[in-house]
Amino acid sequence: MPQVFKKYHNTVARVTIFGGLFGLVGLVLTASNVSRSSYVTKAMVPLDQPVPFSHKHHYEELGIDCRYCHWSVEKSAHAGVPSTEVCMSCHSQVWTNSPLLEPMRSSMASGVPVAWNKVNDLPDFVYFNHSIHINKGIGCNSCHSGIEKMHLTYKSQAFSMAWCLDCHRKPEANIRPQGEVFNMYYKPPKNQEEVEAMMKAHGLTLKPGEEMPTNSAEFGKFLVKRYNIHVEQLDNCSVCHR
Amino acid sequence: MENQQERMDLSQIREKLDKAKEGGLWRSIGELAERPEFEEYLHQEFPRQSASLGDFVNRRQFFKLMGASLALAGLTACHRKPQGKIVPFVKAPEDMIPGQAVFYASTIIKNGGFGVGILAETHEGRPTKIEGNELHAASLGSSDAMMQAEILNLYDPDRSQAILKFGRIDTWKVFWEEAFTEAGRQKILKGAGLRILTPNTTSPTFIRQMQAFLKEFPQAKWYQYDPVNRDNLYEGARMAFGSPLMPVYDFAQAQTIVSLDSDFLYEGPAAIHSSRKFSEARRLREGMERMNRLYVAETMPSVTGSIADHRLRAKPSQIASLGVALAQAMGVPVNGASAGELSEAQRKWVEAAAQDLKASGSDGLVTVGDQQPAALHAIACAINAFLQSRVTRYIQPAEFNPGNNLNGIKALARDIQENTVEMLLILGGNPVYNAPADLKFEELIPKVKLTAHLSRYTDETSALCVWHLPESHPFETWGDARAFDGSVSLLQPLIGQLYPDTRSALEVITTLAGVSKLPYDLVKETWAGRNIDKLVHDGVVPNTAFPSVSVSVPESVSVPSGSLPSGSDTEIAFLPDPLIGDGSNANNTWLQEIPKPTTKVCWDNVAYMSLDMAARLGVKLDLTKQSYPLMEVKVGDRTLVVPAFPLPGHADGAITLHLGYGRTRGGQNGSGAGFNAYTLRGSDSMSMASGAELSVTRQMYPVACTEAHHVFDFGTGLKSPTDYIDSSNARPIMKVGSFTDYKKDPHLPDHHHHAMEPMSMYAERNYKTYDNPDNHKYAWAMVIDPQVCTGCNACVAACQAENNISVVGKDQVIRQREMHWIRVDRYYKGPADDPELNFLPVTCMQCEKAPCEVVCPVAATVHSEEGLNQMVYNRCVGTRYCSNNCPYKVRRFNFYKYADYDTPVLKLLRNPNVTVRGRGVMEKCTYCVQRINHARIEAKKENRRIREGEIVTACQQACPAQAIAFGDMNDPNSKVSQWRKQPQHFVMLEELNVTPRTTYLARVRNYHPELAPEEHHAGDH
Repeated sequence: MPQVFKKYHNTVARVTIFGGLFGLVGLVLTASNVSRSSYVTKAMVPLDQPVPFSHKHHYEELGIDCRYCHWSVEKSAHAGVPSTEVCMSCHSQVWTNSPLLEPMRSSMASGVPVAWNKVNDLPDFVYFNHSIHINKGIGCNSCHSGIEKMHLTYKSQAFSMAWCLDCHRKPEANIRPQGEVFNMYYKPPKNQEEVEAMMKAHGLTLKPGEEMPTNSAEFGKFLVKRYNIHVEQLDNCSVCHR
Repeated sequence: MENQQERMDLSQIREKLDKAKEGGLWRSIGELAERPEFEEYLHQEFPRQSASLGDFVNRRQFFKLMGASLALAGLTACHRKPQGKIVPFVKAPEDMIPGQAVFYASTIIKNGGFGVGILAETHEGRPTKIEGNELHAASLGSSDAMMQAEILNLYDPDRSQAILKFGRIDTWKVFWEEAFTEAGRQKILKGAGLRILTPNTTSPTFIRQMQAFLKEFPQAKWYQYDPVNRDNLYEGARMAFGSPLMPVYDFAQAQTIVSLDSDFLYEGPAAIHSSRKFSEARRLREGMERMNRLYVAETMPSVTGSIADHRLRAKPSQIASLGVALAQAMGVPVNGASAGELSEAQRKWVEAAAQDLKASGSDGLVTVGDQQPAALHAIACAINAFLQSRVTRYIQPAEFNPGNNLNGIKALARDIQENTVEMLLILGGNPVYNAPADLKFEELIPKVKLTAHLSRYTDETSALCVWHLPESHPFETWGDARAFDGSVSLLQPLIGQLYPDTRSALEVITTLAGVSKLPYDLVKETWAGRNIDKLVHDGVVPNTAFPSVSVSVPESVSVPSGSLPSGSDTEIAFLPDPLIGDGSNANNTWLQEIPKPTTKVCWDNVAYMSLDMAARLGVKLDLTKQSYPLMEVKVGDRTLVVPAFPLPGHADGAITLHLGYGRTRGGQNGSGAGFNAYTLRGSDSMSMASGAELSVTRQMYPVACTEAHHVFDFGTGLKSPTDYIDSSNARPIMKVGSFTDYKKDPHLPDHHHHAMEPMSMYAERNYKTYDNPDNHKYAWAMVIDPQVCTGCNACVAACQAENNISVVGKDQVIRQREMHWIRVDRYYKGPADDPELNFLPVTCMQCEKAPCEVVCPVAATVHSEEGLNQMVYNRCVGTRYCSNNCPYKVRRFNFYKYADYDTPVLKLLRNPNVTVRGRGVMEKCTYCVQRINHARIEAKKENRRIREGEIVTACQQACPAQAIAFGDMNDPNSKVSQWRKQPQHFVMLEELNVTPRTTYLARVRNYHPELAPEEHHAGDH
């Protein structure tokens, strides 16, 4: 009786076993990576907009404060997108003939608002509130990092729940003095000298029993305490979901 | 289906029903009768039979669906999220911050044209929630279920949007051409052929415009008609004082209140005000020595009757006899009427009431229901005058032409019969449906050459008129209205017109009169000389309440013969439905699904009757299918088929029928629900009919009644089902006692309390560390006070509006799947025929050691640092283990996709701060966590503690009796801490040791010593 398995079957077996194993692992890895990729999450992908608005130009080059346009960010859950009138308050004077601004001009004339594409779109069961983050020393670019460099706006985070929780469990890593919230170039103080300078700049003084923070981590903890942030409560479900 | 229970025959369970006399609390006659169906409810969260009811899929369909769902299951995650849009304003309004709600004052018009002031919460220009206006006399900040549900009326998808001629879409232009032509002809005739029919109105601006219009057409007639009206009240005052006057009572000061069929805490323009004031006086306070005493005589248990100290059930015709007897016992002479024969119980009730009234003197009052005959109102006026009651005062009525509803509608019918009417404008109302049956309006309307009906729906009347004109909702219009006390409040548009073709009655009449002013300018004109901006801001026009009219004490009351009902063996009482009203709310699904306050029936009206009467008629119930036999009711030549519903506490020898059901063109929800009691109601029997013939058929009809839903086991290790009502074996559910007991020992001790040592299966959490007021930490808690709870269901409606709670429909309610997060349990106490009613609102108890949390496999329900039992919808996979493990049965499951995601106009209705739940998700009360979060964020921004009273839950805010306290129980000065320290404070099912955050106070009654039930020891239950 001739051999059932020929020699080349060894190769077939190896390829099948290892290939199957690695293939399966590879498939899982691929799937999980694809689902986190910007292809799916749309992070880092600029969206088409009726007007190619540049945050880089308006913020970095012209130095307009965030709140000139996003005026409700300190008061409300929504940062607010500027009304046509706000855009036209400058653009009735500058770039009055730019073809790129035609949608704004016709909106102003017709009274029909401009519909922007939503860039940072959280699921409907998430109730994010801008005002409390802004008031408690979370800077704009903690979530919208790189906004000052964006010619076309994209979301710089996938906004996964794990990412939110990272900060809600350790806000000291991202907190900054309230006066630095709208500063996109904020650098946390690294040593005691820098901490002291920063505290002086923002009128922060030590209370009895407090020690002078010596690095950025300690400074973060100091601010968390100073701003009365109850970290243990921040990861309660109903803080964001209701 | 095979093990179908035999039907429950009321005549055979008498013995079992008598057990109720032993004194425990009980919930339904099915429970008393030890029916297996009730135990099923007790032990199964969702009764087994519910699946076999109706339309369950067959095997073949099941496999098809399973196959398809398996194949598609993997693909559900593959949809791409649609690209959202942000649409900012072109010019942003100054005061609007996107994401922050703004409150605007306006007014809701109640039956009779009376206004109740509201504040409407609006999000980006769309009103989503109604609250009472604290500045308004009829609201004082509270509301009721109908007010809460008015927001759904605004967004009702069935609202009429187009102007119709003979049912075809037409234009206003064509209508006005026709109307002006006819009006021009009428002008020459001085309006002799012109008739206008409206509901009653109190609006000074509308009345002014109508009078100006009628000056142009001096022979035209303006009639007012509401099917549920106050004709008798005003006629009674006319008999007593010579002019129609409106009584206003001070229930906060009254010591003895005798109500003759008056549901003053629930019905009528002053109900919320009365409830607020009554509860002020009624609330137990430490060291309280005196409590008011409320006597109620009525046919069917009402909200007011349920809180009465002594409720006497009486046939409709007997109420007047009781009034006469009371007057005689007081020494008030009544000519031309005698009390007739009174039963022992009635005589004792009258004697006790008379004795208390005399003792209270000027602090006593007698109030009579609007449906009772005018002569009885006159008698009450005489008694109050005799008492020199300082808690009763009289004012001029707020309505235009008060007390002429029946005269008006009859006169209109006569005019049409005599062919004098050539142009008929019906501005609101629905006479074809709700006019007295003998007038036969459905035959009269087509006789008029030009008829136009302005209404929000194309209803029964619209169908018969030449023109149907779509009406604006009051929330879309300018206007004004007077409250019960005459004080004026303004209506302002809370939203732009949803449909461009709708008009208000004011707009129609001004256009026809050729006045080219806008409604806003007309309102401004009416209140010229005042700061209109302030009026619009506050909603109320100050100092417009009517002054008291001084009345002379009548020497005696003369009752014209025949003006008091003679009565018969079988009488019918007609009452407006507690929620649907006269039928105008029939398409409102919230109001349809909220159980009626005292009977817990929803989606239907039924013929309520006493248990004895049901036994005599041979009524047999099928509790498995929750079916009741249909019964033919015959009065003269008019008949109606309606389910027979035995109701503990109903008077014998009478049935009660609620109006407002049986609509034929009432919208997709209103049409086909219930039975039209108007078909039995003639102009001679507007509130009661006698000599009815009843015959029970063998046809069964399912009735959605929630009385046995979400019941929980009173006891453990019960040997026989009778133990459920034998309180000594049972666990405490509710503390019920007497005021005498309370004065002896305010703890109203119960012997279960000390029996068990706290032991718990669940992990302890320590919330007591929150004592330091500077640490900005909270422990939320709620205390509900059944002492003042009238069971009116305002909380249920408010919760529904605030929390985007879906309705499920009659069929699903029968399967115990209603979604209300707060329910009002009704516990009977005492004899089955005539029990006392006690209400206990039950929400999620937010147990500190919550049994639901430990069984959730996906941690979708977990605890918060502040002690909330959080429900995370996006995590829930729908195992329903939590619900199964909940001892209070407060969790609700979305068996289907109950929420309407598709209808565009309903999207405007949702509270944007609460998730709209999908299918397969558990939900429950969250203590309005969106309001907590809002307050917490605002407080944190200001770096301060949340203030006491800053968070008001929806149920608490609505409650007209102020029976709910909510706040931080670690703050010793908070209201909730104060209530928790009350000696009569009580924890439901305390021995389970789940330490619920929602707790209760006791309910006590202030019995007259002669009438107190023999056995009323507190804590026996």
